[in-house]
Amino acid sequence: MTDMTAPGKIAAAPAPPRAHPLRDTLIKRLGFGVITLFCVSILVFAATQLLPGNAASAALQNTATPARLHALEVQMGLNRPAVSQYWSWLTGLFQGRLGTSIVSSTPVSTLVGGRIVNTAVLVLLAGFIGTVIGVALGMLAAARRDSVLDHVLSVTALAVTALPEFVVAMALVIFFAAVIWHLFPAVSVFPPGAAPWSDPTLLVLPVATLVIVIVPYTFRMMRAAMIDALESDYVEMATLKGLSRRRVLIFHALPNAIAPTIQVVGLNFLYLAGGVVVVEYVFNYPGLGQGLVNAVADRDIPVIQFVVLLLAAFYVLVNIATDMVSLAASPRRRLPRS
Amino acid sequence: MDLSRRDFVKSAVTGSLAIGSASLLSACGLNAAALTTPVRHASGPPKRGGALRAAITGGSSADTLDPLSAVSNADFARVNNLFEPLLGLTPKAQPVFVLADELTPNATATEWVLRLKPGITFHNGKALTADDVIYTFRTVLNPKAPAAAAAGLASIDAPAMTKLDPLTVRIPCKTPFATLHQALAIPTYSDVIPVGFNPKAPVGTGPFKLQSFTPGVQSTFVRYENYWQTGLPYLDKVVITDYSDQTSQVNALLSGQVDVVNLLSADVIAVVESQGKNILISDGGGWNPFTMRVDVPPLNDRRVRQALRLVVDRPQMLEILFSGHGTLGNDVFGIWAPDYDHSLPQRHQDIEQAKSLLRAAGAEGLNIQLVTSDIGQATVQAAEVLAQQASAAGINVQVNQITVTDFFGPSYLKWVFAQDYWYYNFYLPQVSLATLPASPFNECHFHDPAYIKLYSEAIATIDTAKRQQLAHEMQLIDYTDGGYIIPFFPPVIDGYGANVNGLVPSKGGLSLNAYDFKQLWLS
Repeated sequence: MTDMTAPGKIAAAPAPPRAHPLRDTLIKRLGFGVITLFCVSILVFAATQLLPGNAASAALQNTATPARLHALEVQMGLNRPAVSQYWSWLTGLFQGRLGTSIVSSTPVSTLVGGRIVNTAVLVLLAGFIGTVIGVALGMLAAARRDSVLDHVLSVTALAVTALPEFVVAMALVIFFAAVIWHLFPAVSVFPPGAAPWSDPTLLVLPVATLVIVIVPYTFRMMRAAMIDALESDYVEMATLKGLSRRRVLIFHALPNAIAPTIQVVGLNFLYLAGGVVVVEYVFNYPGLGQGLVNAVADRDIPVIQFVVLLLAAFYVLVNIATDMVSLAASPRRRLPRS
Repeated sequence: MDLSRRDFVKSAVTGSLAIGSASLLSACGLNAAALTTPVRHASGPPKRGGALRAAITGGSSADTLDPLSAVSNADFARVNNLFEPLLGLTPKAQPVFVLADELTPNATATEWVLRLKPGITFHNGKALTADDVIYTFRTVLNPKAPAAAAAGLASIDAPAMTKLDPLTVRIPCKTPFATLHQALAIPTYSDVIPVGFNPKAPVGTGPFKLQSFTPGVQSTFVRYENYWQTGLPYLDKVVITDYSDQTSQVNALLSGQVDVVNLLSADVIAVVESQGKNILISDGGGWNPFTMRVDVPPLNDRRVRQALRLVVDRPQMLEILFSGHGTLGNDVFGIWAPDYDHSLPQRHQDIEQAKSLLRAAGAEGLNIQLVTSDIGQATVQAAEVLAQQASAAGINVQVNQITVTDFFGPSYLKWVFAQDYWYYNFYLPQVSLATLPASPFNECHFHDPAYIKLYSEAIATIDTAKRQQLAHEMQLIDYTDGGYIIPFFPPVIDGYGANVNGLVPSKGGLSLNAYDFKQLWLS
């Protein structure tokens, strides 16, 4: 995949072929990502086999007589050996089939498609707004280091970090929806098939919850990195040259402070992909997390497989993306270590 | 307070007995129209129109529109508006004719004749006929894919059913079945589906027809214009949304996003009422028993079982679990059944007697594991309270909480000491499901020859008074030897907005008028 030159030409080459370090790393990481996902799929399938009960007993609950159980297991194909169930799922995947829910016998893609969009909207909105607010507040606090504002922001951030997301969500509901003021909807229920932005008020509280949860991390990292940058020689130099405070902050300090912050932003997105489960639960938001919780309760293996793989793929991709962006943002780290 | 509660229960029961003894089989006075007496009148006559938004828990992606496979509350909420049964339950949990107009047994209870009301149509315009009834029973009892009701209706010889005329069916039974009218009245057990029923495009005779359905998420229904009960339903539309738990349900009610919510716990009553919403409390006949296997040690010794029954402080349990709402249990099921024996002395906590029974059984300092799960209202809390109360008699109950799917997994009906939940049922039909050796859900592994003999006599007895006497003898065995601890019958607590009218408390154990929304209207 890399530059493969003929042996005879080595002597003629003036420098080692190190043209695309970013691309090489990317390809290697993507390869490892695919292997990771394959392992995840095996692990998840094995885990679903270890869970007591199956989709048939989950559906029948306390009406599960042996006769009914057997009839439903045959109908759902659960009487086949586990390995054969996994194999048909895997081969189907390579033929572009994501499988069919054994509980509702609808294709997984139709079942999960809308939920992916709903969750993506939540994660992207919260991630974007949270990053902007976190970076802005971090810069502000660093620029006015040790001021009252800085102290208030830092202490608040520390306090909010200690709050679990469901406490934040419940507090928002109590204050802004159900009890004190009736400003926003307390639950975010919209008709199946409708887009979550069809009624933007439904997104306010779930997004606000997630933003409140992630902002402190971005804020604290941004503040620390910014303070480091502001104490550096080049910022002092820039200030001595008579550049404006704003120009120093934005064009000299910010680019150097952003690399470590990007890592935190990446971590925040990873957290959002998982943490969104709780928020979806509190607001009854029809997203991927809620879908996964339901699928596990129903022992709907094809749906569990797909959603977990999707989340795992998201983790892999976000990890790769943050590494790439930080590499791009800090040219020194692109050089091979000697 | 205890006394007044019991007095209340007594008066409520005499009321229901009065209805039960009114000759059921003669069809008089038992039409569904007789049920239309809402307790709460807002202002003036019911108003037509509007959409009711219901937030219902219990659903999942296994949600169904097939009345024959309905299991969860979300399922019941949908199918009870799409479909109708031959017989249903009154708010006092007594049988009442719905689609049926007459149901008459022969002298030996081996054959019944059922006649349908005329002029009823399915949502696709097809008339309801005897063929649909025969098709329904054959589908329910299909040995290759038995429906949820199959166990309760197993005596019916479906292949031998015949049509006597377009509205009349002969129902032969393989064994005597004197309580067919009771068994058919259990929610969804006699829901009628049309010949060639397709669960993907379900048509019923109910007050609402299907508009859309997404399992685990939401379903919508619209008024059926040709509904046979003229003037009903009042609502134009019903939107049923699956909710994952009570927190979001209550928040939605308080913020005015939904109109009705089902199955709340007692601890939210105050907050719901303080925000100007209403609470509906029904003394449901459903029951969440502790199940003791009578065939394995240490619970095969009836003295140990009695000791466990005696350690329970039932009023305290109701107080802790449901703020005192609900009905005290006496270890016998079928509390609102006409043949329930209310003369059995109420069992009270008696630590001394429990201790002496344990001593006699050589089981002092008993160690036992109780398998619990969040399967029904407050089941896990009930297990914890029981463990606490049992410690007074030196019994060490270790509560082992597992997930619902685990609970109903391969070990279901095999747990030594566990819990279960049951919807309301009449006494003898419940016996056939749970306490005979051949019962499909004999979770206590109960096997009592005298009891079996009494049952086979009772199930062949048409005479109500005589059958009741036999049932009382059986209940005495349940009371002294049985494997169930039934400390209480949980209350059914629902919430609704100030604009909702037509809800009445119902003893059948299902929420919100047993999820039958045809009497509801919005002001």
